[in-house]
Amino acid sequence: MTALTATPEKASGERGKKSPRRDDRKWLGTDRRHNLTGWAFLLPAAILILLVSFVPMIQAFFLSLQTGRGTRLDWADPLWYNYTRLMGDEIFKQTLGKTFIYLIIQVPIMLMMALILANVLNNPRLKWKAFWRTAIFLPAAVSLVAYSLVFRTMFANDGFVNDFLAGFGVAPVNWLGDPTTAKAVLIVGLLWRWTGFNMIFFLAGLQNIDRSTIEAARMDGANGFQVFWRVTVPQLRPIILLTAIMSTNGTLQLFDESWALTRGGPAYATMSMSHYLYEVSFQRNPNFGYGAALAYVILILVAILAFIQLKVGDKRD
Amino acid sequence: MTRRLRDVPGYLFLGIFTIFSLLPLYFMAVSATNTSQDVLASRLIPGGEFFNNVAKLFSSQDVGAAMLSSFLIAAGTTVLALIVCSIAGYGFEVYHSRGKDIMMGVLLLAIMIPFAATMIPLFQVFAKLGLVNSLFAVIIPAISTPLLILLFRQSSRAFPSEILEAARVDGLNEVSIFARIYVPTMRATFAAAGVITFMTAWNNYLWPRVILIKNEVQTMPMLIVNLSAGYVTDYGVLMLAVLLASLPTVIVFLLLQRSFAEGITGAIK
Amino acid sequence: MTLPIALIMSGCSGDGGNGGGGNGDDNTLTVWAWDPAFNIYAMQEAEKVYQQDHPDFKLDIVETPWDDLQTKLTTLAQSQEFSELPDIFLMQNNAFQKNVINYPDLFSEATDAADFSQFGKAVTDYSTIDGVNYGVPFDAGTAIGAYRTDVLEEAGYTVDDFTDITWDDFLTKSQDVLAKTGKPLLSGQAGSADTIMMMLQSAGASLFDADGNPTIADNDALKASIDMYAQLVKAGVFTEVNSWDEYIGTFVNDAVAGTINGVWISGSIQTATDQSGKWAVTNLPKLDIAGATNYSANGGSSWAISSNANVDLASDFLKSTFAGSTELYDTILPSSGAVANWIPAGDSDVYNEPVDFFGGQAIYADVVAFGADVPSNNTGAYYYEARDAVSAAITKIIGGANADEALAEAQSTVEFAMG
Repeated sequence: MTALTATPEKASGERGKKSPRRDDRKWLGTDRRHNLTGWAFLLPAAILILLVSFVPMIQAFFLSLQTGRGTRLDWADPLWYNYTRLMGDEIFKQTLGKTFIYLIIQVPIMLMMALILANVLNNPRLKWKAFWRTAIFLPAAVSLVAYSLVFRTMFANDGFVNDFLAGFGVAPVNWLGDPTTAKAVLIVGLLWRWTGFNMIFFLAGLQNIDRSTIEAARMDGANGFQVFWRVTVPQLRPIILLTAIMSTNGTLQLFDESWALTRGGPAYATMSMSHYLYEVSFQRNPNFGYGAALAYVILILVAILAFIQLKVGDKRD
Repeated sequence: MTRRLRDVPGYLFLGIFTIFSLLPLYFMAVSATNTSQDVLASRLIPGGEFFNNVAKLFSSQDVGAAMLSSFLIAAGTTVLALIVCSIAGYGFEVYHSRGKDIMMGVLLLAIMIPFAATMIPLFQVFAKLGLVNSLFAVIIPAISTPLLILLFRQSSRAFPSEILEAARVDGLNEVSIFARIYVPTMRATFAAAGVITFMTAWNNYLWPRVILIKNEVQTMPMLIVNLSAGYVTDYGVLMLAVLLASLPTVIVFLLLQRSFAEGITGAIK
Repeated sequence: MTLPIALIMSGCSGDGGNGGGGNGDDNTLTVWAWDPAFNIYAMQEAEKVYQQDHPDFKLDIVETPWDDLQTKLTTLAQSQEFSELPDIFLMQNNAFQKNVINYPDLFSEATDAADFSQFGKAVTDYSTIDGVNYGVPFDAGTAIGAYRTDVLEEAGYTVDDFTDITWDDFLTKSQDVLAKTGKPLLSGQAGSADTIMMMLQSAGASLFDADGNPTIADNDALKASIDMYAQLVKAGVFTEVNSWDEYIGTFVNDAVAGTINGVWISGSIQTATDQSGKWAVTNLPKLDIAGATNYSANGGSSWAISSNANVDLASDFLKSTFAGSTELYDTILPSSGAVANWIPAGDSDVYNEPVDFFGGQAIYADVVAFGADVPSNNTGAYYYEARDAVSAAITKIIGGANADEALAEAQSTVEFAMG
């Protein structure tokens, strides 16, 4: 921790390399009055979340301790019956596996690409920036129904992708009918749709980084990659953490693509946990207690991963 | 010369990714001009059915009402969310304390539960308040999002403490500091947050479809699903509806993109 | 700018509390249904018919996709907010049992809404629970075999060669057609149980017995159906595709020369305007087991009366239109292809009119006749679980797994879900 200082030269000289020193806060921000002001600032948001999310969440928790169909619900015996039932649910285990596969494969690739794209787009010498940005963002703006239809048509047995591959002499692939390739199509869909979305966060984050640090590094002889890795990325760390948490959360809770693009098929091969939850609650014979238990398992998984990420990545220096 | 050569990999990467991004969209746009039969045959060339499809779409669905509904929801959510979440993020970071860190973690829990599980208790609350079919009922749950708060908090790391000190020395109160200094400085973050919120609110489907029961208030995503819910789906019309539905988000993006993507780092200095 | 917006927002919230049926106006009924070209259109025509004798009558139809409708019903039932229900809603036949058994509070009895002897038993059985009728059948899911007459002719056959036959016979003939014309006669979604369920029902069998126990393993009719399906796929006469849109694309874009599905598929067939005059309709092939018939059904829906309804008005309305008006059925048939389940409707001239697209065949009269011979099947509350399990089993069996094992696994999956 650097010593407390408010002198201008030191401040601006070091500001480029590290995020603003936070122990100033002890003096400036966390003395009582300011601390309370801070709490006042976050009160509206916190109250809303409490009412709109936490109250239903608690109700859902109680629901997960109940069994029965439809509205005829009773306390489970034993109370954690739904949770033990989960352990023996073959379909659930499959969806658990699939969802984790999506997480492990898709998220790192997507974040890496988004980061690189944002960095490339941030180059002051680049031409037609607005065009590239818009083109890459557009997939995120398109509604789910459409993009699933388009992807299904493109990956159909006689669809565009197979036609294209035939030009190279590759035999047609049963993209959506084979469990492995179906997962691949889903992952490609996720990459297509969400890379641009995450790129926006990185672009915004890059604006808040001082270009002088990059120029300084360049002048010190660093090449593009080194500049990227040693200067840009560390300063983007808070945003990277944000997107990592968002993507982990989004992927573990994946619903849209599993439901609209592949319908969980073939034979549950691509179904995500959230999709299964939805089926259990709304499409099959309604078993809301079980659905709530499923929801809590998902929550626990996301929470564990998110908190690991926070612990590891959330550094203030 | 070396400078330009250095840029080539960048252009190449951008080019490939852009083709990847635009190809399905091109297909979508072309499909809006074709007959249903041709869309199913993966026809990639524009056809002459555009005006026919427009006529069919507008005569079978109340597009205007749905666009208005979606717009009011998205705009309302965005404005309110930007205000509520930015001050929260600011509060978390600028007045950082251990207690607040814990609070952030707690609030984050709220995004981790799948919506399907909290949907029914939420519906019960809004139904009891008599807010079924109300656009407010769609807006209120979406205003305060832990992820948006997290965005502002993380972005505020780059907001320098010196400015804060200087402002306090100048005698500004906390709210003025936020409004007059923080907001303009963090323009990029606000712009990004604005686009994201607008887009998420616009494309939101699960909650509106439960709380909005009358046709007059339904949103564009609901309208699109209506089109595919019949025995016979006209795929050309469907694609056209999707194009229309995507336009507002694209417009918002175009309006705001310079703000979050082109250097205003000078402001921080 | 803010004032009009505020007005709109509050205007919308104003009627929030009583947006459903049974509110104030005694001459209006709210209806939830999907598909403007079919179900909603039929309702609108029914409104006109009823208005002849009741000029103050009005319908408020809310277009609601089935998936949304089911979600809304479940949500309303679970949160006990019955005041938001409409008077009448449409419901898929396959989902009736599940909804009535789990959420009886959503429904009113429909006993006065029709003379149920005028409907085929198979179709009223879907919405009959414990002997009480809860739905007025509307959309017939009666299954048809539709084939391209020009392709058949090229191979030396007519549609009569495919009428009242067995599946073994079908397999032989269709292989011949494939050899001579290069076109398969059938297609469907891979892993979808539709075709097999139709075969199953044609033999009078179900996935559940009368007591609601799953009968997936040790089900001879099911095994025979799956076995025949596998043979069809292997012989190349049944093309498996991966999505609904692709399936429609196969016959609309001439890759496949026929299909077997509920009669409602004719709407999609007819979007291929360049194929007009080249199709014909007949019944299904039958399985080679005891109790097999040439008739089956897939899907279909019925009108239900909610617990929040103006029951007298709704019952009278339904009885005078969907269960009592040949004029209604005559009107909706030509434009939407909505075939009546209501038997008296089939006697009218409109039903006997030739349909150009199908080479001048009076397909609707034929379909109504088929409808009377469709065997019932047991759906029960766990129907969707069973269908999903069977679909997964089919995928595995096509992929080479042992049929008995796969079906036993399916049975245990369903038992788990029921447990």
